[in-house]
Amino acid sequence: MRPIAATMRAAVAEAWANRSAFWTQLAAMALNDLVWVVFWVLFFGKVGTVAGWDRTRVLLLLATVTTGAGIVLGLLSNARRIGQLLVDGGLDAALALPVRTLPYLLVRRVDAVNVGDVVFGIGLFFVACHPTPERTALYVLGATAGALVLIGFLVLVGSLSFFTGRSEAGDLGFQAVILLASYPVDIFSGATKALLYTAIPAAFVSAVPARLVDHLTVSDLATLLSAAVVFVTLAATTFAIGLRRYTSNALWTRA
Amino acid sequence: MTVAKSWASVAAVSSARRAGRDPIALAVSVGFFAIVASVIATLWRTAAHVHGGSVAGYTAVQLTWYLYFAEAAVTALNPRQIELTGDDIATGAVAVDMLRPASVVGLRIATEFGRCVPRLTASAVVGSGLALITGGAPTDSVGLLLALPSLVLAVLCNLAAQHAVAGAAFWVRDARSAWFLYQKLIFLLGAMLIPLEALPHWLHRTAELLPFVTMAYAPARLASGHVEPPLLLLQLGWLVVLVAAAVAVFGAGERRLQVVGG
Amino acid sequence: MTATTPALRTGLSTAIEATRLTKSFPTGRGRRRQFIEAVHDISFTVESGERVAYIGPNGAGKSTSIKMLTGILHPTSGSASVLGRLPWRERRALTRQIGTLFGQRSQLWLELTPRETYRMLGAIYRLDTTRLRSRVDELGELLEARELFDQPVRSLSLGQRMRCELAACLLHDPLVLFLDEPTIGLDLLAKQRFRELLVRLNRDRGTTIFLTSHDVSDIEQVAERAIVINHGRVIYDDRVAAMRRELLATKIVEVALSEPIAFTPSQGVTTAEASASALRLVVDTTVRPVREVLDTLLTIGQVTDITVTDPPLEQVIAEIYERPRT
Repeated sequence: MRPIAATMRAAVAEAWANRSAFWTQLAAMALNDLVWVVFWVLFFGKVGTVAGWDRTRVLLLLATVTTGAGIVLGLLSNARRIGQLLVDGGLDAALALPVRTLPYLLVRRVDAVNVGDVVFGIGLFFVACHPTPERTALYVLGATAGALVLIGFLVLVGSLSFFTGRSEAGDLGFQAVILLASYPVDIFSGATKALLYTAIPAAFVSAVPARLVDHLTVSDLATLLSAAVVFVTLAATTFAIGLRRYTSNALWTRA
Repeated sequence: MTVAKSWASVAAVSSARRAGRDPIALAVSVGFFAIVASVIATLWRTAAHVHGGSVAGYTAVQLTWYLYFAEAAVTALNPRQIELTGDDIATGAVAVDMLRPASVVGLRIATEFGRCVPRLTASAVVGSGLALITGGAPTDSVGLLLALPSLVLAVLCNLAAQHAVAGAAFWVRDARSAWFLYQKLIFLLGAMLIPLEALPHWLHRTAELLPFVTMAYAPARLASGHVEPPLLLLQLGWLVVLVAAAVAVFGAGERRLQVVGG
Repeated sequence: MTATTPALRTGLSTAIEATRLTKSFPTGRGRRRQFIEAVHDISFTVESGERVAYIGPNGAGKSTSIKMLTGILHPTSGSASVLGRLPWRERRALTRQIGTLFGQRSQLWLELTPRETYRMLGAIYRLDTTRLRSRVDELGELLEARELFDQPVRSLSLGQRMRCELAACLLHDPLVLFLDEPTIGLDLLAKQRFRELLVRLNRDRGTTIFLTSHDVSDIEQVAERAIVINHGRVIYDDRVAAMRRELLATKIVEVALSEPIAFTPSQGVTTAEASASALRLVVDTTVRPVREVLDTLLTIGQVTDITVTDPPLEQVIAEIYERPRT
């Protein structure tokens, strides 16, 4: 644990080193997220409710997804880059050290931009989502579980690069899950909706955690935690298998 | 002038060819466009159904065509153009190009446009197909026809504006925040995410006075079946203004570079 | 400080042993599937405390070999043992005892100071704080880099960075140091200093040095022994002194002339190229010293420019390749 903690500490120091860039990026992302709030306010201002979702519910969704995604993309930011690290040799640097490869890679880099998401999400929750102590606790739990599902999914699709040799799958998967998690899941019809509860678990990144805050049910909690466990396990396993394949084959590089 | 024009077309064609050479990257771009556009179209279609069949005067079908075309117009562009142009200026790479500002700007826009062509074409085709399947036939095919040149003008206006903004990199070193803000302005004031007519009155009026409507709203409005040819004239007018702005900014910046010694 | 022989440090006299290492990579798909053999049947032994240069042209198989020895890659067949361990099976245990310095890839984090990176590496190698601190001080002395440790890496010159880089891979006092093109991009003075540091490290601590390079001077000044590989095979393995005697004795003399001269090649000197305004000679310095050749040229001709160079590595290797296998 000590190597991982020390690496994370260095990654934070690295992001913090360029102070002005840190704050500018953070602010830019918060502004970016604010625009989405404006969008939803305008949208529901015109439309009222859609598929059981109204402005209040969507703002809670936004708060949950920005916090959860911000934690992953900000603090464990290499989760979205597994494919790229493979292809550009960043993996070899990790293999030269006596550390467990995946945890090391995940903490190796902090992205200030996405820390802005976390700050925004927390701010939005406290301003617009009726932060009682109960709701706050559920929000924290939900965002954390959503973050776990997200990190599991990202590492899983990123690890596909071990088998394809290209980084596109990871990238596309990342864009898709974030996009789909930013919209009220019930606007989607049967097949698509089922997809969001399974292969691309966007529903577990945002909608289900948000639902818990409004109305805690055992089934929602159970499915959310199961999803987290399933995706994290799948991710770790796929990465391990892929790593074994990488070290026995490796991509043909200039010898 | 004729020489400059032919240089521009050569630049455009060659960069279009180069861009067309990576089919996987193109497929990924267009795939992503399809997903994003479909999601927002689903949202608005659902809203229309709930709202008694239409929202702000658009039926579900019209909304579908609107959103696919709005998205196609904007995502055809290299998403980080402002940043890249800004970086070029900051590192002095532009100095190499520095002929006359008009030539620089013209050449860059032509090259960038060429690069957009494969993406724009593919998105228009795929978007139309998806709109047909998920929404239905376009309500007025004349509108759809007019939407095609409108798409081209939308991209050109967007590029010109981005160069004007990126030109600010001569004075400010970090263009990234400019990019973020710029993109959001198109989303809202360009009526890319919300049809212009659905905006509150004061916002609607403001947007009409700004150039962002040329970059998304114009082709979207036409494709949605509203045959309003003056939109094309609006785009042309703004294009002239925006190119002039870009040239002015680059010219002023060039002078600064020469003084500072870039 | 007493020099501890590495054999005492590990109880092993052999640091690296490669036995018939072979690695082939698959390329292409389906019917067009082929196997490229990067490395074929490589065997050698490196004793503790040796300084070995592992040389070959681009594509010869050097990086692949090092990757196998450091545990990043499994061979297709054959075996290896580094400090008594099977590298690809015991990667994490092995990496605690070896250091790697890859010229193209930095361990130092650009935005931090070297000391901050060392603190992180100290945790990774599980060195306690006191031990880490004394080690950093020690290395600061040895590498004459102490004043560099608290400046951001970004502000250091390449030569300064390489010294800090070297410190980074020595923090955990490795028994074997693998270096891949470490002097690339350094100016002459920095290269010189770096080579001296490697030799001093080896003499003081007994660290085994395994170095790949394109630079003939790296071989001449650091290594005691050279293993040459080409097309994935070992084609030469001998003391550098022997190599020097046989092959590195050649020098290339190029002169620019303002008037043509008649130069008759003599023993030890062959004309590679001749024109009205330039002459290129290959001199075997064991037969005729370069000084003599230069004196002759300056006497008989109007020389406007002289260059004396080592033959390119490719030529040395080509010559090695043409000789019968030792």
